[in-house]
Amino acid sequence: MTTSLITRRHSLGLGLGALGLAALGPGVARAQTRVALQLSWLHSVQFAGSYIADERGFWRDLGLSVRLDSGGPNAPVEPPVVSGTALVGISAADYTASAVAQGAPFRILGVAMQNNPFAIASLPGNPVNEPKDMEGKRIGMPTANMPVLQTLCTLNDVDINRIEIIPTQYDAAPLVAGQVDCLLCWSTDLPVAMYVRGIESVTMLMADFGYVLHSQTYIATDDTIANRRADLVALLKGEAMGWDAYRADLEAATDLTLARFPDAGLDRPTQIEQARRQVPLMFSDLTDAHGFGWFTEETVAQNIETLGLLGMPVTADLWDRSILEEVHAG
Amino acid sequence: MSTVADLPGARPTALARVPRWLPGVVRFLRLWEGAAWWLAGRFLLAGPLDVIAHAWANAGLLTRAAAVTLENAAWGFVIGNLAAVALALMALALPRGAGVVAGLALVVFCLPLVATAPILRVLYGPGSGPQITIAALAVYYTTFIPLMVGLRAAPASWFDLIRLYGRGGPSALVQVRAMAALPYLVAGLQIAAPAAILGAMIGEFTGADRGLGVLVIRAMRGLDVTATWTLATISAAVAMAGYGALGALGRWLAPDRPEALLTPPPASATRLAERAAIGALTVLVVLLLWWAAMELADLNRFFAKRPDDVWRFLVTAPQAAAARATLAAAMVETLLWTIPGYVAGLVLGAALAAVLTLYPAAAGSVMPIAVALRSVPIVTTAPLIVLMLGRGATGTIAIVAVMTFFPALVACLQGLRQAPGQVLDVFAAYAARPVQRLLHAQLPAMLPAFFAAARMSVPAAVLAVTVAEWLATGRGMGHLMALSASTSNYNMLWSATATLAAVSALGYAGVALLERRALRRYAPEQLS
Repeated sequence: MTTSLITRRHSLGLGLGALGLAALGPGVARAQTRVALQLSWLHSVQFAGSYIADERGFWRDLGLSVRLDSGGPNAPVEPPVVSGTALVGISAADYTASAVAQGAPFRILGVAMQNNPFAIASLPGNPVNEPKDMEGKRIGMPTANMPVLQTLCTLNDVDINRIEIIPTQYDAAPLVAGQVDCLLCWSTDLPVAMYVRGIESVTMLMADFGYVLHSQTYIATDDTIANRRADLVALLKGEAMGWDAYRADLEAATDLTLARFPDAGLDRPTQIEQARRQVPLMFSDLTDAHGFGWFTEETVAQNIETLGLLGMPVTADLWDRSILEEVHAG
Repeated sequence: MSTVADLPGARPTALARVPRWLPGVVRFLRLWEGAAWWLAGRFLLAGPLDVIAHAWANAGLLTRAAAVTLENAAWGFVIGNLAAVALALMALALPRGAGVVAGLALVVFCLPLVATAPILRVLYGPGSGPQITIAALAVYYTTFIPLMVGLRAAPASWFDLIRLYGRGGPSALVQVRAMAALPYLVAGLQIAAPAAILGAMIGEFTGADRGLGVLVIRAMRGLDVTATWTLATISAAVAMAGYGALGALGRWLAPDRPEALLTPPPASATRLAERAAIGALTVLVVLLLWWAAMELADLNRFFAKRPDDVWRFLVTAPQAAAARATLAAAMVETLLWTIPGYVAGLVLGAALAAVLTLYPAAAGSVMPIAVALRSVPIVTTAPLIVLMLGRGATGTIAIVAVMTFFPALVACLQGLRQAPGQVLDVFAAYAARPVQRLLHAQLPAMLPAFFAAARMSVPAAVLAVTVAEWLATGRGMGHLMALSASTSNYNMLWSATATLAAVSALGYAGVALLERRALRRYAPEQLS
């Protein structure tokens, strides 16, 4: 794992960038540094703050040109960030912790989702209002999420053996069709899909039951943090400005998302509802006091505890607030 | 040569005006609407009427998405099939190296997408590169195998003729082998058409921002069952059109019945030791290419594990024993489902081909359904299959059979048509019943194609089982790979990949052994 993180592709890009700069001469006031941000999922309002930062020129004014790379079901975030294809990736504390355990030199620079979006969704006729209610029920989820359920059970003294686990795709249909009694999902996607189709559901947010885990975290490699601080500060500053603008006008953020991706199959009712539901996950008293993406020793300690239960022992070194401190300093 | 044998299929001209497939399609649509009506409110299936309405309302979006996906599929189709032809010619030009080329082609085909997708995305960056590559990877093998059979499917007497005229290998290639291979090539291309479209769609899962695959993910997560089935219908319809067009092209290029293939066996027969040496050489070449490709592309070891990483993980590391145990347990679970699913898919394909030969009129009903089953993305059909058959053995085997029967069906249909015209004439002259003709003339002639299908179905079945495990059962190698990928455990992922490839290659070698026994008797020209 001692391979240089700056790949050939990357250094070639830098070299060409420098050549371009030289050719333009001293007349150009400010060159745009081209970087990429690797998103964790397909384009949607989930990343609307970034679209605002791009469209309103927040990044341009900071000297950055940011390419937003789409994620997907078979598009892990970590490889492009390790390879240098993307300067920063949007991950989650558990994914980052496992990648670090496998030798990737990542640190978490900021936290877009203060509250973890994982939830247990059920139907009102047979609701799951608290973790104990899962006992004796059938839960549908992709089996890759088993550690999440195990941790929730451990945190709340629930006997996981009394829950019948049914492997499904990440899809609300098994719940609606009565094949399962509840789903393990994000509170901002499958419950929104049911809501938009007129199906009432009960959503138990796992963060309310001890599952404290930073989500939608910004990650970069040690090498990038050491050598490209200015770019990282500019990127996160643009993000913070974009997300503040998002919070100020959800309608505008949704419309921008829809206009920017006409071919992505997005519909307004779903997007506006998702935009609303992610606000309480992203903004808290902590961010109001210190700024977007903030985290403290205390929240980090809680995360370390949850990660321990997930079987991922980490130290506070996984987090690095220095970039964010520069972002919110002035 | 198209003489008496064609008579049973001949019909009054007035009826011939109605396309043969029309009644089948109508029956299929009625069945589908009925099923949708029966399942209404369960968010599992939308009927054709809803699908048409949705397609009409979203025509612009769907057309643009289809255009993107089809363009990638077309590029993948062209590149993958050209690669198959190049590989086949290489294997023919270097008979000693043929085993290594075939082994290499097999191993690359076995690579699961969870392992290769991140590498492709890092190599290409944003854009269509991964989609096109995955589409090409999905098609080259199912063209390569029939093509290899076809290039050998020429009687020795033809080659003698070429030699008598004092002409060499190139003439033999163009005038004998190419002609003999044409029907097999067409069968391969027909199998490739739906595979390329599926490959392009799955390629979009690696981080594309538009296309049918992107819309499928969106629709399924959005509980938009009408959109899901509209997308499935569009991809199936396009695949069927491709299949039909390639079939028509084949009939136009090679309308004749084949000449007799009954020839004495060639003298050469490879010894066991020689085959073992080829196997060892293949393993060596695979390991070398694996290492060299990753080094040359300068891929980071975090996600692009080299052979020595896998060796350390499985053999010398402190937790190696635990890793081996996890891997072995998952592999055993997977094999328990793979073998019945493989046999079921193969038998289903061959049986359907036999039925269609006995009752050609049934082709109109069966072929559209068969092509549709193959080309509807498995992510949309899996929930339905699971609902009907459960998550246990039946459901899993059904998913595997659905994903593997198609190459067997197409290859066997092609093979059944390879019965020598003169032999069929003899059966016709004696007024033999169709069943007798099938048993004694057509089935033996089908064997080379059947075994080609059996060989190429080995990796297909393994891939199918891992998909079923990922989507439905949550066990075995499919589950292990999904879990490893989501926790960045690339050591385990690459170990699983290597194990799957090795097991597939062993299964392939086993089938090839059976094949040699059978062909020695029925089609000795294949054993050169």
